[in-house]
Amino acid sequence: MSQLQTRFFTEDKRYVVDDVPFSIPAGSEIQDLSNVINKLLEAKNASHKKVDFDFLVKGLFLRTTLILTGSYDKTARIWSVEGKAVLTVAGHTDVVKDVAWVKRENLTSLLLTASLDHTVILWEWNSEKNKVKARHCCRGHTGSVDTVATDPTGTKFCSGSWDKMLKIWSAVPTDEADEIEEPADRPRKKQKTQQLGLTRTPIMTLSGHNEAVSSALWIDSDEVCTASWDHTIRIWDVESGIMKTTLTGSKVFNSISYSPLCRRLASGSTDRHIRLWDPRTKDGALVLLNLTSHTGWVTAVKWAPSNEHQLVSGSLDNLVKLWDTRSCKAPLYDLAAHEDKVFCADWTEGGLMLSGGADNKLYSYKYSPCQTDAGA
Amino acid sequence: MAATTSSTSSSDPSPGPEPEPESKPNRSSRKRRTEPVDNPEEELVLGSAPADAEDGDDGDSEDSEDSVYSGLEDSGSDSDDSDPESGDEDRPEETCKDEGDVALDTEVQTEKNLEPQKDEYEQDSSDEEDIRNTVGNIPMEWYADFPHIGYDLDGKKILKPIRTKDELDQFLNKMEDPDFWKTVQDKQTGQDMVLTEQQVALVNRLQKGQFGDVNFNEHEPSVDFFTHEVMIHPVTNRPSDKRSFIPSLIEKEKVSKLVHAIKMGWIKPRRTQDDSRGRYYDLWASEEQGKTRDMRMHVPAPRAALPGHEESYNPPPEYLMTDEERAVWEQQDPIDRKLPFVPRKFSCLRHVPAFERFIHERFDRCLDLYLCPRQRKMRVNVNPEDLIPKLPRPRDLQPFPTTQAMVMTYPHVSPVGFWSLFWGDDGTARFWEVSSGRCLKKVEVGGAIKSAVWNPNHNLSLVALSVGSVVLLVSPPSTAADKQVVTATERLLSDEVEPAAGEGPVVWSNAEGEELHQGIRMKIQHPKPVTQVTWHSKGDYLAAVMPDHSSHLQVLIHQVSKRRSQNPFSKNKGLVQSVAFHPIRPYFLLATQRSVRIYNLLKQELSKKLQGNAKWISSLAVHPAGDNVICGSYDCRLSWFDLDLSTKPYKTLRHHRKAVRSVAFHRSYPLFASASDDGSVIVCHGTVFSDLLQNPLIVPVKVLKGHVITHDLGVLDVTFHPSQPWVFSSGADGTIRLFT
Repeated sequence: MSQLQTRFFTEDKRYVVDDVPFSIPAGSEIQDLSNVINKLLEAKNASHKKVDFDFLVKGLFLRTTLILTGSYDKTARIWSVEGKAVLTVAGHTDVVKDVAWVKRENLTSLLLTASLDHTVILWEWNSEKNKVKARHCCRGHTGSVDTVATDPTGTKFCSGSWDKMLKIWSAVPTDEADEIEEPADRPRKKQKTQQLGLTRTPIMTLSGHNEAVSSALWIDSDEVCTASWDHTIRIWDVESGIMKTTLTGSKVFNSISYSPLCRRLASGSTDRHIRLWDPRTKDGALVLLNLTSHTGWVTAVKWAPSNEHQLVSGSLDNLVKLWDTRSCKAPLYDLAAHEDKVFCADWTEGGLMLSGGADNKLYSYKYSPCQTDAGA
Repeated sequence: MAATTSSTSSSDPSPGPEPEPESKPNRSSRKRRTEPVDNPEEELVLGSAPADAEDGDDGDSEDSEDSVYSGLEDSGSDSDDSDPESGDEDRPEETCKDEGDVALDTEVQTEKNLEPQKDEYEQDSSDEEDIRNTVGNIPMEWYADFPHIGYDLDGKKILKPIRTKDELDQFLNKMEDPDFWKTVQDKQTGQDMVLTEQQVALVNRLQKGQFGDVNFNEHEPSVDFFTHEVMIHPVTNRPSDKRSFIPSLIEKEKVSKLVHAIKMGWIKPRRTQDDSRGRYYDLWASEEQGKTRDMRMHVPAPRAALPGHEESYNPPPEYLMTDEERAVWEQQDPIDRKLPFVPRKFSCLRHVPAFERFIHERFDRCLDLYLCPRQRKMRVNVNPEDLIPKLPRPRDLQPFPTTQAMVMTYPHVSPVGFWSLFWGDDGTARFWEVSSGRCLKKVEVGGAIKSAVWNPNHNLSLVALSVGSVVLLVSPPSTAADKQVVTATERLLSDEVEPAAGEGPVVWSNAEGEELHQGIRMKIQHPKPVTQVTWHSKGDYLAAVMPDHSSHLQVLIHQVSKRRSQNPFSKNKGLVQSVAFHPIRPYFLLATQRSVRIYNLLKQELSKKLQGNAKWISSLAVHPAGDNVICGSYDCRLSWFDLDLSTKPYKTLRHHRKAVRSVAFHRSYPLFASASDDGSVIVCHGTVFSDLLQNPLIVPVKVLKGHVITHDLGVLDVTFHPSQPWVFSSGADGTIRLFT
């Protein structure tokens, strides 16, 4: 494993270490770095007590990656990469279909959960107290909310639902509830909504799909791409609220993913194929590549955040596959960890692959050119 | 002297190997002929005569030597070209002496010794004269177009004599001139001349085929040059040349040159004469069209009947007429007679007399050909391939389900968009999410579910289940639909309507307690086990089937909003297999064992009876547009009825090898599917056109296999997803398969 030359600075006089470069393993985590500092301080000062440090690398917090999952047990959970459950977010009355981070700051983070109970809830998580509070309950969909995605600036998010609508919402927490005309005869429901935070209504509703919207994502800060069961992928201009492009397929789309590195869309369909599209084509209906190896519905596709050729896909045939688009005939790896259907797949910033499935497990995989290992 | 001889020989019209003196008599005769006409030339001739006289001496001596042979040859050759011309009008007295060109008279030959000198001179002088025309021995037609006929020795043109004689002059000549018959024209000079007596005699002889020479004895005994007897020594013992037995080199070279030339294309094969250039006038060129039309419209003559046994000269005895038959035959009118003749028997062919009816028969045949009406037989040549209708290729008819996506171990399924309802004999109904294949709600009903149907009305969220003799109305999870829908359903079910109690055999009751908590809202108690429930498209009416052979109470129609039930049929029409509401019109379709009856619910009458020639109908489905019905039967058929067309099937599909258990139409896509005991589901494309003139297009597109045949049962039920081109099939192996 490669070594890195690092220097440690601090403004706190108590914990100053020598300004000399240290060589540390490149794979070191926060815990390892803390240990190193503690060792150094102990060497200088025997009375030093062990302290957990936070680190800034070029002004950015070096943090443990946290994983947010939504589950059919009506809750969302936050996990650390090691597999420790940090927090359980409970509050939905039905299955959580999709989750998304809005913002992660030092102490408070914002996260979104979309549920079968037709709502999206914007939560505020205080990592210090490890408490979560529902800030807003986004109401407006009349069907199961299947997908939710935050825009790159973290101020807006979009949600796609079974009711064929795509809605754009504000992701900024406020203290005022939006006006919503509630039926007068439903006091019971109203109480419930107040428990779950302030009601929020959509900024914009984009209708155009003829079937359920199964997947939505932001290509740009003002462009949303949606995949639907009506066999189309549509790209919307959020500023003007009009549809820009339609890519028409012949099968239901379950999932799409966009890579800003190679500017391609990958879609997973019910006909076992993963297709790559170029969203810039005006007329649409141009499939660049077909990746075929799955034997069931492809329920999840995700481009690697740091590699323009790699993508991971999950399918109902219990397999997660790692693909390289340069070899379209066969996947690089079949990750056969799941014992039941795979519903989602994702990458962490550190290059870990994640997949969750109907066997109630979340697997993470580390990929390096020579080895693959799976952890809980 | 030398010069003159050379000039003579060169200008000789018939130059030959013959010695000069031979030809000299010819010239002399010619000279004499032309003398009176061409006076100016005479001096010239005369002037040169003495010079040639000496020459004559030599020639004469030669003449005498080869008189025998030369005479023969000369007479032959001369008789061709100059015989008739050699007329000598001027001096007939001389003719005995100068035989001219023709005659080598024996007299001359005999006398030539006597007076050679005198003859020689004359001949010489005449020879000179004769060569007035220097054109040589050429066809004189070459000069036909010129005013002259040749050139004299000085190179001057010899003009043609002016011939202005017309027919009348000729006739007068003929009448007046006694020598007209022996007057001929000399082609060389264009002059007329009169033949001498000798010449005439010679012509006569030649005409008779005799030798020109009177004295020639053609029957002289011949003396063989070689003896005819076989000698011991060969005449010549020369060995045969080598070249006679080796291939000729020269020929080889010649052939190879020709071959090379042919290869290089220098030698072209002889071209056949092409008549199209108009060498011949094509008389029928303009009638080409008519000719082919006649050929096309040609009707072959009817064939004459072949002779039978009775026409044999020795027919078997049963063909011979008995006396009575013969009597009858004779009494009959000739037209009525079966046979136009009486069969007769002869012991051998020799005894057969001439056929006296031959002319009659020919005449009859001609009458037949002439009078019989002929009709062109229209023979249609049809390629059998063309009779097969052109169906579009299945891959152009996408989308339709192609691959198996999910397998779930449940006996039955009923999908509605997001949800699918699984049900079976285990007494539970399970609500599943289609996209993930995950059970989200379970309802215990406490009995085997026979049938489960979602309410087709989008504004109601309700499921009808038949459990034993009870029909349950169950509300699915509230998140399955829009809140307004849930509210509407709630309102419909919670309306306090007084059920018409005691009116019929059906008891309505609201569910309570635990059952209500599970979602069961209403119970409809029937007198008999219910096998099938079906909704009207508006979602208010519900039909339940209780098949029973003996009862008239087989079908009940319930109205949910009024909590009312009615029995529409007062008579038993047979075992009810399946029922369906018409999607648009107030019709009710009822499939009995052999036929499908369509009742008008408003008029309360039978409107149509569809007779598919099926033995036992198993299932029924109505096209969402309402004008087409498909019907599966246990004898492997699927019948498509077009209600506008006929009460007979528009098309019968026999794709399955075993009983068809279930059929289904897709609600929006032009698809229908049939499930069979052979373990397969066949998906067909069925487009119904709004144009009434166009028949539905039915194309089988996919056979979906996967179910295991258990206890001789394959696929029991087939259902389409309401919005996607997906098909759910439930099999006897206890699994549900989703094909997408």
